[in-house]
Amino acid sequence: MTLLDQLIILSAMTVIVTLLVGKHSIGGWIATLMYAGQGMLLWKMSALGYSAAEVVDSSFTLQILNQNLHWRFDALSWFFAIITVGAGLCSSWFSSGVWGRSYQKISGKLGLLRFALAFNVFSMLVLLASGELLSLFIGWELVSWASFLIMAMGSARAARYAMRYLIYAIAGAMAILGAMVLVYSITGSFEFDAFKAAVPAMSRSMLWLLFGLFAAGFGIKMALLPFHLWQAKAYAETPGPGGAFLGAISSRMGLFAIILVLVQLLGVARLAELDIPYTFLSARDLLAWVAVLTIIFATFTALRQHDARRLLAWHGIGQGGYMLLGIMIADDLGSAGGLMHVFNHATYQALLFMVVTAVIYRTGTSDLNKLGGLVARMPISFFLMLIGIIGLAGLPPMNGFVSKWLIYRSLIIDESPLLFVAAVIGTLGTILSVYKLIHNTFLGQLRLEHNEVEEAPWSMTLPMIILAALVFVTGYFPGLVLDWVSAVQGAVGLPVLAHHLGGVAIDKGGLDMVWIVSVLLVGFGIGTLVFFAGGRSRRVHQLDNYAGGHFLTAETRYQYSDNFYPGLMHLIAPWYRKSFRWLERSLIAFIDILSQAMQGLYRHSHPVFYLLVVVVVSLSWVLKQ
Amino acid sequence: MNISHLILELVLMPIVAFVVGLFMVLMMRKIGARLQRRIGPPLLQPLYDIIKLYSKRTQISHGMIHEMGIIMAVGGYVAAETLLPVPGMSGLADKGGVVTLAYVLMIPSLGLALGVGQCANPNGSIGISRALTAMLAYDIPFILVVFGAAYVYGTTNLAEMIAIQQQQGVSSWGIMQMPLLALAGIMTLPAIMGKQPFEIYVAPAEIATGPMVEMGGKFMGGLFVMQCFQFYTAGVLYTTLFLGGGVYWITFLPKIFLVVAIPMSIAYMFPRYRTEDVLRLMWKWPVLVGIVGLAVAML
Repeated sequence: MTLLDQLIILSAMTVIVTLLVGKHSIGGWIATLMYAGQGMLLWKMSALGYSAAEVVDSSFTLQILNQNLHWRFDALSWFFAIITVGAGLCSSWFSSGVWGRSYQKISGKLGLLRFALAFNVFSMLVLLASGELLSLFIGWELVSWASFLIMAMGSARAARYAMRYLIYAIAGAMAILGAMVLVYSITGSFEFDAFKAAVPAMSRSMLWLLFGLFAAGFGIKMALLPFHLWQAKAYAETPGPGGAFLGAISSRMGLFAIILVLVQLLGVARLAELDIPYTFLSARDLLAWVAVLTIIFATFTALRQHDARRLLAWHGIGQGGYMLLGIMIADDLGSAGGLMHVFNHATYQALLFMVVTAVIYRTGTSDLNKLGGLVARMPISFFLMLIGIIGLAGLPPMNGFVSKWLIYRSLIIDESPLLFVAAVIGTLGTILSVYKLIHNTFLGQLRLEHNEVEEAPWSMTLPMIILAALVFVTGYFPGLVLDWVSAVQGAVGLPVLAHHLGGVAIDKGGLDMVWIVSVLLVGFGIGTLVFFAGGRSRRVHQLDNYAGGHFLTAETRYQYSDNFYPGLMHLIAPWYRKSFRWLERSLIAFIDILSQAMQGLYRHSHPVFYLLVVVVVSLSWVLKQ
Repeated sequence: MNISHLILELVLMPIVAFVVGLFMVLMMRKIGARLQRRIGPPLLQPLYDIIKLYSKRTQISHGMIHEMGIIMAVGGYVAAETLLPVPGMSGLADKGGVVTLAYVLMIPSLGLALGVGQCANPNGSIGISRALTAMLAYDIPFILVVFGAAYVYGTTNLAEMIAIQQQQGVSSWGIMQMPLLALAGIMTLPAIMGKQPFEIYVAPAEIATGPMVEMGGKFMGGLFVMQCFQFYTAGVLYTTLFLGGGVYWITFLPKIFLVVAIPMSIAYMFPRYRTEDVLRLMWKWPVLVGIVGLAVAML
């Protein structure tokens, strides 16, 4: 039995255990230990993470219709698997203590939540291990249904959003299935190698068709524009740790599949040759622009949210755009940035979702208009959120900066000013948005009803502290993650990034985070010394401040949170509404025309016309013969 | 370069930045005074002000984050100065180029924003909301300029940019190579430095000086120090990108003071714009000029 067999079996056992004892307190701890066991098994396979050539096969195979289904792990699978299992571990740990007990008391669905989480991890591992197109499709379907399960188990509203997801997912699956049938009809096999070998001989129209079907099918899972409408609401309604897990890794399965099929098998160079007629753009540029528009649209939608979890979920969509953008640039820096961002995003997004869940646990709400001033009561949670938002905004010294820096740098080398500026606009919007998040949750006026709130319990803060430490440490020493990333680059045929512990040493401007972060820390130290060199300060009550002649009392709700950026919204909201509406309407109109055409066809509304068409087509065929 | 030499540079660079920044603040006040037919403050007035603020007896703190914000604001700039090469000292210029610098410069703003947030003063929060919006406004033309410079010089390393301009003489300076981008840069400078007409986030009569409303004593002193660094950074960065940097301080100092003097002279002649007008203005003219400049540079 190979290590991969052991991993999958242990993961399946976790599913069974959570099904049996999931609703008990002990069940959560057992599941957490079993996730840790999966992590250990992955660590035993760590040769995969440091070498592009290694492959671990599964001894389990299946014969269907003369097709040999098999499963294996390579560097790419391993990289995504370690993030998946890590996210599962932290989410499970988070839910094992008091959060789980209170959730069980309120909803009675704790067992289902744990089962759904374990099933998600299991199905993702199966997907990541897929060894040819057929097992990829099986894994893809498993993942879709598993995420449907965890999204639908919340409130009735959640079930509605999950149904919306399901419609998208089925449409996506059909597109993928169609593309696979096309590949099979050309190569007569579902094997990756056969597909890859057949690519050079494929016609341009066939490549366009495959590209469109695969990109749309996998893009739906990533919520790329224009398939972005399902994700934020569905993730935000998923119960706490489930949302953290989904936000961290679930939609990245789409990215995994895109890397596998479009980058490893079709090849980015081939995509760059696929010109769009009458434009300067190629299929690669098309995806890069889709990625950038996803960044901007999702980020500025996030900026308008007043529910903390929706805000984060929208950012999750936007950050996915950075990953795709980096990979579509496809040089060593850009693709490393895109891949590293998968890891980075998982760490800070899980952290942020957990902090928000902790706030909900203590205050009962994630509505940013009903919170404020909690730093006085929950200081640890505040610092954890601070680390998370610095990561999300992509500022030094956290890990989000490194991956975004790699993407910016490669866009400069690639000479793409517009993509570069668009990527930076996304980051600036994120800074505004995350400041609103932390300000309206932890800063500003503490409400009377939150006066007795306490810090989140340790069973919740500990996994968050571990995630926060990861966000910082992999920002300080990005080489730790870049090692894995470069193995992935080698495995999927991208140029491999030469790096060191602190970042990259390239000609014409590199990055060394060890120095940058050290000097920042020293800078803060000097700032502290300068600050405490001044006179002793006196702490005053929050209401003891200057309000321009007014007097403030605890009854006065003067927390400034609704419509936090009025100047900006005044200007961009009309553009935004218009372009959004335009996009939606044009999509609806397109589908409308299709359905009308189908209706006409089905009901034979114009039999004479169809007869004519058939006659013309057959005549032309006969004449051509 | 050996490590002790590097550490000496890292110590010296923020100190030099602070001292030069003090004189820039003095220059700003002198310009304002002359335009208003006053004499203006004496030579060491900025220093006296800082000492006065730090040694005040009444120091009002609204909590730990209020204090941390000021520490982040000063500390972030101390760190940023080591990324900014000046004559004789390159510091960490090769370990993080102009893109890194642009992002490190956001840390002080974030720190200040956090500190103001804890004060629970609506005027402060309104001010921060406006300041962050202004940042979104001016950073877009600024980042266009950064991209253009990185493209024209073929590097993001600021020290290499200086070397290229120094070796090839005045005709290779950024302002000659990409005049439109230089124009876009000078148009955004007043906003980057937070001067009129772009200081709506301070608006003393409307929101009681916004972010500064709860700042007194050493908190205000910290912001004063931050302002010194801010002026210095803006002047040096612009000089590095467009005016050839400098090999000797004697030629370098006039350049950076001149750069800083331009937005300051403009500042005292203008009223202030509303937040949405800042966005509209910044996104229209400097961006337009910047894009045209970029197109010219890249074609």
